[in-house]
Amino acid sequence: MELLAVIIGIGIKSIIFIIGMFLLAAYLTLVERKFAGHVQQRPGPLHVGFHGLLQPIADALKVLTKEDIVPNFVDKYLFYLASLMAFVPAIMILAVIPFGEPITIFGYEVKPYISDVNVGLILALAFGSISIYGVIFAGWASNSKYPMIGGLRKAAVLIGYEVALGFALVGPIMLAGTFSLREIVEAQQGFFGAFIWYQPLAFVVFLFSILAETGRTPFDVQEAEAELVAGYNTEYSGMKFGLFPLAEWYIATFVLSAMAVILFFGGWNGPHIFGAVSPYIWFMLKLFLVFMFLLWVHWTLPRYRVDQITEIAWKVMLPLTFLNIFITAGIIIIKG
Amino acid sequence: MDLHVIAFWSFSALAVISAFGVVFARNIVYNILSLISVLIAVSGLFFNLGAELIGSLQILIYAVAIVVFYVLVISTVPEYKGQSVDPKYMLISIPVGFGIFMELAYVSIYGAWASATGIFSPEVLKEVGNIKAVSSMLFTKYLFPFEVASLILLVAMIGAILLGRKEQVMEENNEHSV
Repeated sequence: MELLAVIIGIGIKSIIFIIGMFLLAAYLTLVERKFAGHVQQRPGPLHVGFHGLLQPIADALKVLTKEDIVPNFVDKYLFYLASLMAFVPAIMILAVIPFGEPITIFGYEVKPYISDVNVGLILALAFGSISIYGVIFAGWASNSKYPMIGGLRKAAVLIGYEVALGFALVGPIMLAGTFSLREIVEAQQGFFGAFIWYQPLAFVVFLFSILAETGRTPFDVQEAEAELVAGYNTEYSGMKFGLFPLAEWYIATFVLSAMAVILFFGGWNGPHIFGAVSPYIWFMLKLFLVFMFLLWVHWTLPRYRVDQITEIAWKVMLPLTFLNIFITAGIIIIKG
Repeated sequence: MDLHVIAFWSFSALAVISAFGVVFARNIVYNILSLISVLIAVSGLFFNLGAELIGSLQILIYAVAIVVFYVLVISTVPEYKGQSVDPKYMLISIPVGFGIFMELAYVSIYGAWASATGIFSPEVLKEVGNIKAVSSMLFTKYLFPFEVASLILLVAMIGAILLGRKEQVMEENNEHSV
């Protein structure tokens, strides 16, 4: 009976996380469009609701009711599967991201995370990197040259930056002495306890890797509009199309920003000025700032060439992470 | 029924069915898709055994980092070429496959008797955690094999670079054209 209760509890929690993520992702599109608009000195969505507040709902209805065209010569099974393969792993990372400390409501202990496995960080990395297959298979299944090139470009970018990302995470792990995301946050107490002060190199590499992994602008070669129509999702339409940007630009960016907050900005640690909910407010505030920073980069910079991107990954980012690991290890040995 | 038992049978069934897919699917992209499925199912088995570190590394390294290179190569093959089958390779592949099968069978039968010994009982593992257990063995008792393995990989990498290197003449031509 206890087993059943655990399963039902985890099920309900997962559903809340997934629905919450969907709603949040929908409104993150509005945030991004407003932000992009103001960066480019135009108002952005303005007419649907007050300052475009209902725009995400209108967009969702439009995408869901649109005619779902499947081109004739695509590989049908893989074509359907690819959009799910890009989306599901991105949302699965939520299973290991902690959003705060356990709190007690009406006598029950509620944990604001789904699971706290002690390899949470590796698992998050693993789920994050599986979504690469969605992109490559979308490109292949479309049976068309632009999606194909887009998929291969994305694969080349991801292979390079996945390695750099993995090695960049080693610095914070060495300082905290654990792979559990919750314990990494607990290791960063106080303003000067945040790992950003000790791991600036790792943070820079991590930031570049987030931009590359989520296909945001300096690295968005896989959907370079001027060269590749729309990249790997050229042949997609309707909700199958909608899942790609939702997974890549919003859910993946959100989740990776959450990882950045946990690893470098002390997670939910902060002054208790908002009472009982202050950990959540601090976490969301930091997360939002990182997310907005990524948007800022996205809407200001031009894009790199493909060869420049892979060159930066292998010749700059990877050696930097090795240097970071070396320095961190040296300091840990000296200071004991 | 215990949750572990249900998980074991479903992951095993998934792994076996996907393994059949790897061998019998006609389209090479479906082969590779089945391979990914096998690797993820095996990682599920590792999680089920309580080996979380190996399970996550199984996904991260095998299911993604290694297979993605297969996918990169295979997805550049046009679809009609991917579906053709050449029976003459079966002359080599069947004996070699049988040899690998015998080797695996020997290892698994040998391992079934040799297992359940060692210093890491479930209680100890719960105390120190997966990562510390693995690393304490890896960097003390198995340090030498570990380093030898990395040396072999380094040699393989240098060999691959040497084989894939462009001819000197080609490079000079490229420089002039740029």
